[in-house]
Amino acid sequence: MGIEGVLEKGFVTTSLDTVINYTRTGSLWPMTFGLACCAVEMMHVALSRYDLDRFGAGAFRPSPRQSDLMIVAGTLCNKMGPALRKVYDQMAEPRYVISMGSCANGGGYYHYSYSVVRGCDRIIPVDIYVPGCPPTAEALLYGVIQLQKKINRTNTIAR
Amino acid sequence: MADDLNMLGEQLKEAFTDKVLSLENRLDELTMVIDAADIMAVFMRLRDDPNFRFEQLIDVCGVDYSTYGCETSEGGIYLVDEERINPFKQRFAAVYHLLSVEHNMRLRVKVFALDDAMPMLDSVIEVWPSANWFEREAFDMFGIVFVGHPDLRRILTDYGFVGNPFRKDFPLSGHVEMHYDPEQKRVLYRPVSVEPREVTPRTIREENYSRH
Repeated sequence: MGIEGVLEKGFVTTSLDTVINYTRTGSLWPMTFGLACCAVEMMHVALSRYDLDRFGAGAFRPSPRQSDLMIVAGTLCNKMGPALRKVYDQMAEPRYVISMGSCANGGGYYHYSYSVVRGCDRIIPVDIYVPGCPPTAEALLYGVIQLQKKINRTNTIAR
Repeated sequence: MADDLNMLGEQLKEAFTDKVLSLENRLDELTMVIDAADIMAVFMRLRDDPNFRFEQLIDVCGVDYSTYGCETSEGGIYLVDEERINPFKQRFAAVYHLLSVEHNMRLRVKVFALDDAMPMLDSVIEVWPSANWFEREAFDMFGIVFVGHPDLRRILTDYGFVGNPFRKDFPLSGHVEMHYDPEQKRVLYRPVSVEPREVTPRTIREENYSRH
């Protein structure tokens, strides 16, 4: 049996998908996008007590060009909206977004305000919503794990 | 401390006899109301007179007195009463908080803008440079124009924002909201979609509450 036969069975394809997903989930590079008090909890996740690095997502970058995960941590104001979209557009594919906290999820406390975007999903597509005001560090950690599960479900080669 | 404040009050009355519209000592805080025309003269003297020496301007903020002292009616709509508690009748005021490090004293000065439709006050930036951003904020939020300010731009609201959010007639949710337009590939404003919601305080008590 030649290699073509194996290809027909789809063995190599699924295996490569697994490898790709493994590398992607194991090396998420989050971008620092702290907008409000949620950012403090995001810092806790990155630091030694919760240690996001255990899940392969600890390398926070200051630049969107070096990262593939954006954690929108805090209230997104109208004035920040275009900047958020610009930064998201600068991220390389594949890119993921975690919306952290009530404000980023749907405006939260500021839902009726004149100056706040009612959810960052009005500006950018969101993969995982983490509820809470602010969410605990554990909650964000759980969100990251959920994102990794979501990435694991995607097929890159076989469409 | 209270004696010091009374003494300061006496000195203020003596120094600005014809300019003080009201001088009130409440909760150990001194509040002086002066005429809009006297801003520069009074503030210059407050800064330079050895009796006062208010070297530092802590804060400038705007106030909208449009419904001040009026009762709330049903449905959260404010009734504007002719017999207002506000004795000055003007709608907008700027409040200046001053600190004298030398005498360890604080003073609050309130100035009402004469024209309700186009509130204008002299900028105190020549007296205290720290007024710069405070006055920009009051201009942004209340639309009070500070004459003589070198760079009177909006400071907090979005670029191209229309209206003055802290005015009592500005709706809480504003007029526009932000969203991303996938066709034009940019962030745009559209008319606001949420319904305004007024929360009227009320007491909800269970039956037999506090009866055992």
